[in-house]
Amino acid sequence: MSRLRESGVQVSGGFWVLTAWFTAVNGWRLTAVLLGMAIVHEAGHWLVLKAAGGRAAGLRIGILGAVMEVDSSGLSYGKELLVVLAGPAANLLTAAVCAAAEAETAAGAGLILGCFNLLPIRPLDGGRALELGVSWALGPAAGETAARWAGTAAASVLAGGLAMVMLQSGGSLWLLPMALSALAAVKREGFRKKVFL
Amino acid sequence: MTSRQTGRRIASISAERRRRAAGRGGFGKGGRRRDDRMSAGERRQLFRLFFCGGVFVLLVAAKLALPARMEQINAALSRALEQNMDVQAVFSAVGRAFSGEEDLGKTADELYQAVFRPQEQEAVQASVQASAVKAAGSIRFLREYRMSAADPPDSEKTAGDGEGAELSALTYVLYSDQNLPEGVSMEQAILNFDYAVPVSGTVSSGFGYRNHPVEGEERFHYGVDLAADTGTEIDCFADGTVTAVGESSSYGKYCTVTHTGGYSTLYAHCSRITASSGSAVRKGEKIAEVGETGIATGPHLHFELHRNGVYLNPIYYVSPA
Repeated sequence: MSRLRESGVQVSGGFWVLTAWFTAVNGWRLTAVLLGMAIVHEAGHWLVLKAAGGRAAGLRIGILGAVMEVDSSGLSYGKELLVVLAGPAANLLTAAVCAAAEAETAAGAGLILGCFNLLPIRPLDGGRALELGVSWALGPAAGETAARWAGTAAASVLAGGLAMVMLQSGGSLWLLPMALSALAAVKREGFRKKVFL
Repeated sequence: MTSRQTGRRIASISAERRRRAAGRGGFGKGGRRRDDRMSAGERRQLFRLFFCGGVFVLLVAAKLALPARMEQINAALSRALEQNMDVQAVFSAVGRAFSGEEDLGKTADELYQAVFRPQEQEAVQASVQASAVKAAGSIRFLREYRMSAADPPDSEKTAGDGEGAELSALTYVLYSDQNLPEGVSMEQAILNFDYAVPVSGTVSSGFGYRNHPVEGEERFHYGVDLAADTGTEIDCFADGTVTAVGESSSYGKYCTVTHTGGYSTLYAHCSRITASSGSAVRKGEKIAEVGETGIATGPHLHFELHRNGVYLNPIYYVSPA
């Protein structure tokens, strides 16, 4: 554990609890498939980051998955955008390979994970990609505004959708942390005071 | 010299101790002074402790004051915790849509099933539970009756005989109509088409009530299990159309085939489905291979026969003639 922390990897208690819950409900095979896909995702980020000449500062693993902290000081917008998009791209590529190999469950898991990460809600990859892309084209203020509007809207829809699924099906409560995180994202993106440099 | 030093040390230690004891004094002056010095983190932790303690006390009080209401809430909560979507089915449906094996309408249908009606099979079985318990009661009653009826010395001599009689009596008790779950018929339907045995294996579990090998409780088994090695060819029961190819957490990889006259068959726990959804198949044509996907304790084919949605006992058609 201490060696993990030294290397910059932080794992929250919530992650263990949620993983244990998911495993108890859905079986260890599905957990293994999902964790494998998460590793592929982070490996995608890391490889492109290395190729672009950046340095990973650490990895925080929480309830919603892993977030790689990137020392992005030396990277251009274009390169950082590539790094951000590499994770979902790695998932979608793996999903395509799995689909060709008739491993439908893994393919579906990769597709769902990749698409989930492309939602425009920071700190998900989609949100960061949107911020970077708009910042690149129109400047950082426009990027921040775009990420806020898109994040608020997408997080509201996500929270509502998850709540609806839980209410309608009368269960699947392991989705609850995700719904709460989406609500927190709505609050963060929609109601926090704007702070510009 | 040494004694003087030691003396001083003892004195200072005891002074320290006295000071600490005063601080621990709790609600006195010292206690308040400690609060003032508390950092934000400590205060947060203290708040958390009190909050959790408060919730605990409230719950205990509620349980003592309104036991019936709390019982209800408890039941509703555990129901909500146990009701979960079939993630395996969701992934597999999305995966199949991605690889282009299925059109999107069908995938949406499957997703809806997996998310909102994941335990349809279990729900049926739960409603059966009551009658199963009833049946178990009758078994015990019958067994006790037999025990008391048989003379102790004779019972050993005619053990084999008595068992047979008991078994047939049990079969009668178990399968009289009132004990059958809804949507199950024990009749031997006369099929108006040619059929073939899907797998020529030994019947490892028959149609009817049994102790579930994994869940451990008594449940109705809606098909027959034919044990065979993984990879053994599964032949289609009769001419028809493959209506569904899927994967679920309990059935594993399965497919269903619709035949004429409102009949359909289901093949579950396969290692591989070779037929594709929507294709026409002939009697005896290979459609899948035996496996142990889903909830299974060994490689076998779980074979079900339905007529207009009613489960029939397939045993009459699958035992090698």
